[in-house]
Amino acid sequence: MGAGTAFREGIRRVNAAPLVLLGMTGLTLLVAFPLSLALRGMIAAHLGDSLAAGAAAAGTNYDWWQEFLAQASGLGTTFLPSIIGFGAVLDNLGGLLDNLPMATTIAAAVSAWLVLWSFLSGGIMDRFARNRPTRAHGFFAACGTHFWRFVRLGVLALAAYYVLFGFVHGWLLDDAFGRLTRNLTEERLGFLVRLALYAMFGLLLVAVNLVFDYARVRIVVEDRRSAIGAMLAGARFVRRTPGTFYLYLLNGAAFALLVLGYALVSPGAPGAGFWMWMTLALGQAYIVARHYLKLLFYASEIAFFQSALAHASYTAAPAVVWPDSPAAEAILNADTSIGR
Amino acid sequence: MSRQPPTTAAPAVSSSQGAVQARSPRNANYTITARLDPASRTLKGDALITWRNIAPIPATSLRFHLYYNAWRNTRSSWMRERLLAGNRDLAERPPDDWGWIDITSIRAIGAGGAPADLTSRLRFIAPDDGNADDRTLVDVPLDSPVKPGDTINVQVAWSSLVPRTFARTGTIGDFYFMAQWFPKIGVLEEQGWNAHQFHSATEFFSDFGVYDVRLTVPNAWTVGASGVERGRRDEGDGTTTHHYHAEDVHDFAWTTSPDYLERTAVFEHPTLPRVAMRLLLQPEHGGQADRHFDATRAALKYYGEWYGPYPYPNITIVDPAWQSGAGGMEYPTLFTAGTRWIAPRRVAQPESVTVHEAGHQFWYGVVATNEFEHAWMDEGLNTFSTARTLEQVFNPHFYARRYFGGFVPWVFEDLPLSRATDGNRLSGYRPAARSDAQSTHTWRYWPGTASAISYNKTALWLHTLERLLGWDVLQRIMSTYYTRWAFKHPKPEDFFAIVNEVAGRDMAWFFDQVHRRAYAFDYGVASFRSERPAARGYFGDGDKRTFSAAEAGQDYVTTVVVRRHAEGVFPVDIRVMFANREEVRWRWDGRDTWKLFEVTKPVRAVSVEVDPERVLLLDVNYTNNSMTLEPRTRAAARKWSLAWLIWLQDQLLTYGFFI
Repeated sequence: MGAGTAFREGIRRVNAAPLVLLGMTGLTLLVAFPLSLALRGMIAAHLGDSLAAGAAAAGTNYDWWQEFLAQASGLGTTFLPSIIGFGAVLDNLGGLLDNLPMATTIAAAVSAWLVLWSFLSGGIMDRFARNRPTRAHGFFAACGTHFWRFVRLGVLALAAYYVLFGFVHGWLLDDAFGRLTRNLTEERLGFLVRLALYAMFGLLLVAVNLVFDYARVRIVVEDRRSAIGAMLAGARFVRRTPGTFYLYLLNGAAFALLVLGYALVSPGAPGAGFWMWMTLALGQAYIVARHYLKLLFYASEIAFFQSALAHASYTAAPAVVWPDSPAAEAILNADTSIGR
Repeated sequence: MSRQPPTTAAPAVSSSQGAVQARSPRNANYTITARLDPASRTLKGDALITWRNIAPIPATSLRFHLYYNAWRNTRSSWMRERLLAGNRDLAERPPDDWGWIDITSIRAIGAGGAPADLTSRLRFIAPDDGNADDRTLVDVPLDSPVKPGDTINVQVAWSSLVPRTFARTGTIGDFYFMAQWFPKIGVLEEQGWNAHQFHSATEFFSDFGVYDVRLTVPNAWTVGASGVERGRRDEGDGTTTHHYHAEDVHDFAWTTSPDYLERTAVFEHPTLPRVAMRLLLQPEHGGQADRHFDATRAALKYYGEWYGPYPYPNITIVDPAWQSGAGGMEYPTLFTAGTRWIAPRRVAQPESVTVHEAGHQFWYGVVATNEFEHAWMDEGLNTFSTARTLEQVFNPHFYARRYFGGFVPWVFEDLPLSRATDGNRLSGYRPAARSDAQSTHTWRYWPGTASAISYNKTALWLHTLERLLGWDVLQRIMSTYYTRWAFKHPKPEDFFAIVNEVAGRDMAWFFDQVHRRAYAFDYGVASFRSERPAARGYFGDGDKRTFSAAEAGQDYVTTVVVRRHAEGVFPVDIRVMFANREEVRWRWDGRDTWKLFEVTKPVRAVSVEVDPERVLLLDVNYTNNSMTLEPRTRAAARKWSLAWLIWLQDQLLTYGFFI
């Protein structure tokens, strides 16, 4: 199976599991919404019964916004003008690529979300690997089965990403960029240098990301228990199979298209009535699409890996058996003792 | 006490194309020859300084600024102050970045007598902070004092190493911007020399004169400088000497680079003098020439119409090289702007900085205030004027952020920037409202807040004055001040005196608060009710006295309690709006810490505002200035928290990249 076929197969598998998409979107909402409620309280408290609220509801009230930020702390400091429309996407992508510090509250939310997603990703990948509904018991059994393996793999991934963002990013985009552009007097050349360095860092990042992606795939598909073994196996597979990179590019292109599309249609800050709900709906559609692409990454990589083995849709992992209830086990044990 | 203009005052501002009668005292005149060697990054110069003592006291010594020595090492006062303000990177700069200036010889040339060599008498002084390591100010004792009205000729030779740009002067690659590059004589006043060391938060102060300057640079390098070019001579050794002449200016800056694109245009106006504009542009900004010219035109037009004409025949706009750090600075008849390779038209860059620096030709160039001590007098007046000009011609313009290393801008068209708050920079002023009284000498400000007090606060209080007195009155104040103090050195009291004179009222109460004290202003609504009051209790007299249960009256009683939350006192209006769109206004002198207002009407009130026209732009919290009985708080909070929700969801998914 080539990268294109795997990509199409991934689409088919994600389309066949709408509940997974719905569930993961719901999870993200579940993590984000309480914080949104907290921010809502802060905004309401600052606006009080003032007329500024009317202006803020009808459109934007930049004067009020700056006053709010002047007194904000914690979560409130993240309520910046850059959250409007496509600015939000640029803000987040820019923050990641430039390795900008994150507010503590947001870092905690991101960490919690990553842990939850890690837990659920075992079930998701198992579902995509089996290419058939696994039902709730099968899904969560797979989550439990793979979670600690993923945690061990996550520790290795954390170390790798720490090196990348803690050292390599600084070497490339601070030190090397500073040295290479120190005597440049043309901004466009400086930008080209930065793009080249982004590309270098991006390649390293993609390489590491690919290894850990296929390590996860091999844990699920091949029922591997060793995180180190899975990581080495993932690295071998990536090294031997250029298609992994092409598939990654296809997935990356899909993401780029989505971002571009959102840039074109993302609304600004309309009034608080009908158009606010429309803006929310459009924003949520974009968020659902991002979840879809995230799942597509998993599904297409699994399909690609499976196709590279002996036969299509191969999975060596046995179906996970949901344990019997404690009562059933007690009865079974009792029967056994009787038999003795 | 108000200071009157000096009696040596020159004629009022007049336009000219050629030689004109002196418009300034012209008491500090320089004839300079200088040669730049880009290979060694050195400059050698020789200056004949003809200085006339216009102070009422004799000069027993001369004082010269040697600004380049601020970047000689980390022990200079400039560097110490920058480090104090947290600019630690400065101390880490590589050896090639640093620079210095040495006077190699100084001689006094008397009438008919032999030149007296004063070189051995040079001594560095530090009158501001006693820093023995600071070499930015030098004192040269004289054999005999220069009496009031007398003139002395001084021949100075110097050499310097041009630094990698610090404080907007220096070099990067083949780009040179040469400011504060020669030994500059201080200003003698009746109290003695007004010559400060170079400080990190302040700029400059010097007397007017005529500059005749010959600059030798490599062939084919473009030169731009203060004044007008009078000629060029090929030296036959691969260099060319450019001859520039500037009259009635108090500084001279120049730039050279082989890379400049040169563009020219003309400013023409029915009632203002014609001005030749020359733009030295970076090649990568070739498409932005018109934006620079339009912005300069806007400054010359509006400042000219509001305050008085630009008095020089030409102006040079310099677009500095990327990373040069030379952008956004004013010099007589020449200024540096600053733009980006990607510069969306809906964002006022380069317009804002261009208008601002062109505007400094008026507030700094012509009205030459002491930037060491009263930076607000040029920066503040100019920030106010910049915002007013941008409102006329670049409206609307929008908030933008830059991403990906600062290279990629994104314009937020939902966020138009307003003159009153964004142009006058209220958000920057807010945290610095109580940091230093503006009357403190600028070089003594805490470095981190100097800009907010000089630029932002002044612009805000000037705009407040505009709203209080009316633009026609403020415009007359500013134009009177410009005309009366052109080519002189006014002090704060001179400006305040003109305000009182033109406004016809004593505004000391205002300047006491905004200038002489570090007061913050904050008025707010503490409570607001509008209801039919229920009466309950005994009513009537004698036999007719009966107990009455709660009964609502027919009319609505509206009560408003307003508060003064900060020290600043300012008269404000209180406006109550009623359901039938009727309004009631009260005037409050704002002195008490709180005040109750009450009105009875047959209709219910819906909202109240303190200072509804936002006259007091210095109010640091305007959100608390209003209250409504029909708040849209929930709708606003819901809308913005949901917008933020999408941002957060996207953030989570962005970091989902890792799993």
